[in-house]
Amino acid sequence: MDFYLGLLQIIGVHTLLGLSAYVVLLTGQVSMAQAGFYAIGAYVAAMCTAMFGFHILPAILVAGFLTAAVACVVGFPALRVKGLMLVVATLAFGEMVRLFFFNFTWQVERGGELIGPNGAEGFRAIRFFPENGWEIWHVTGFIWIVVAVVMGALWWIDNTRAGAVLRAVGHDETAAQSIGLNLTAVKVGAMTLGGMIAGMGGGIYAHTVTHIEHLVFGVLLATFAIAYPILGGLGSVFGTLIAVIFIQGFLVEGLRFLGDWRSLLFGALIVLAMNFRPTGLLGERMPRIFKRRTGEKLELKEAE
Amino acid sequence: MDYFFFIDLIQSTVDGLLFGTTYALIGIGFTLIFGVMRKLNLAYGAAALAGTYIGLVLFLTFDAHPAIVFLASALGSGAIGLVVYLCCFRFTPTHYPMASLLASVGMLLFIDEVVIHASHGLPYPYPSVFRDAIIEAGDIWIRGDLLFVFFMCVVAMAILFWLLYRTPLGLATRAVSQQPRAAQLCGIDVTRVNMMTFGIAGILGGIAGAMTAAAVGVLSPVIAMGLTVKGLIVVVIGGLGSIPGAIIGGLLVGAAENIFLLLRGVTERDIYVMLLLFIFLTLRPGGLFGSAQTRD
Repeated sequence: MDFYLGLLQIIGVHTLLGLSAYVVLLTGQVSMAQAGFYAIGAYVAAMCTAMFGFHILPAILVAGFLTAAVACVVGFPALRVKGLMLVVATLAFGEMVRLFFFNFTWQVERGGELIGPNGAEGFRAIRFFPENGWEIWHVTGFIWIVVAVVMGALWWIDNTRAGAVLRAVGHDETAAQSIGLNLTAVKVGAMTLGGMIAGMGGGIYAHTVTHIEHLVFGVLLATFAIAYPILGGLGSVFGTLIAVIFIQGFLVEGLRFLGDWRSLLFGALIVLAMNFRPTGLLGERMPRIFKRRTGEKLELKEAE
Repeated sequence: MDYFFFIDLIQSTVDGLLFGTTYALIGIGFTLIFGVMRKLNLAYGAAALAGTYIGLVLFLTFDAHPAIVFLASALGSGAIGLVVYLCCFRFTPTHYPMASLLASVGMLLFIDEVVIHASHGLPYPYPSVFRDAIIEAGDIWIRGDLLFVFFMCVVAMAILFWLLYRTPLGLATRAVSQQPRAAQLCGIDVTRVNMMTFGIAGILGGIAGAMTAAAVGVLSPVIAMGLTVKGLIVVVIGGLGSIPGAIIGGLLVGAAENIFLLLRGVTERDIYVMLLLFIFLTLRPGGLFGSAQTRD
């Protein structure tokens, strides 16, 4: 039973990571920086509870808001460049964050031992849950309440004007600009919101594993982050959830008997899925035939 | 600032400039593919690495001559480049760049994992030439193997320029990169040009991978990510789509990397290279040689 609860925790945390990329993808930007934001959230939240004795909830909120601030600051220079260049910029930012934590050492003495991030060794003993007597199902419940709140908020945003604005920018920047939308504000806003969700996800992640190190937050994690919403489709938040359940539940855990060959499968699955269903499982709400026609028109327009 | 520090600084810069040519080659590969397809091939560094491993297999099993090993690395990487094109770019929709981008990321992970499985993640020795030769110019030493790397990369660039500007294939490639639809109307088979470009870019990547391994002396799967990230940084600094930009960017990144290595040590080196990228993005988002109007 504990195994399944643990799996649910992983799925919940990865759903937050996927949703953070989902928000940014809605505006048509591919951000490989989500793993970096996740790392910032993880370290900040862990420092709040382990070093300064915060409760988990304020710690995660602090992590979320701080990461949102970083995402906002990064968003301005990075979003001056579009599309493919943004991929490069955010990829570099993610690696930069990882290397920063690789070199980051700041330890304080607490309860007779040194606690804090310690360079390449990572951040050990983030023991908020065991110290405060949380059972495993408490933790799982807590994670899924956060996930439900975030998903509900995103679902609500999607059905308001803000969601339409995000999608308008994602579909056609020129058209969005011509109806008076401020592209930079929308994109930086999406980046900030994405950063906040990733930061909260990272904060929870740090507490479930109790030991974090820079290697976890590499390009592979960034790829997972953008793979969830793209495979699941940008039609609704549930696409991301389904993709996370499929990848983490089936591909990673269900096929454990295949050993290391699973990571081969992950790459191959992405390639296959993009060839056969490029818009993901739950594509945006349009009848498929109509979509195909507009697709052809777009292709013609693009050549001009 | 004493004399020895100054000598060290010049030494690092020279080594960096010589090694930077491999980054320039990777950058040119990214730029070529971007030029004809307006898409980013993130599997490129991994394909280069896999090609280099094909050369390594020849070296380990038949004890082949270094020249044959280098050639096999280049050709193998070219072949893998074609596979990447067929798997990630040929059948994905052209108007939805996210699909091919993610497919190439998937391919990156796939190739990386295959290489790690085949090699068990262990580093292997890679043949190198002129290892013991050293040219001394005053207090500055120039390593023979780095000079060889530099020479090979320059030759590869020269051949590329000849291909692009003196042959019908090059004309077709440049036509497609300027205006795909118009090139098609002139009877150029765009798919064929795209395939050839992936092959040629793959060969360049293979040369860069082989030269990186030859300069380091060992080959390990770790260099794939380094090649990818450094190649992308080179392209951004030089301007996406510009070949001279990629060359200058490659030399700049190579030199900057070695200077930061000297000043700040190996663990912090890459942070400063990334910062360099961000400075360029903020102050000159189009890169050194980028055109003002960018389509994507």
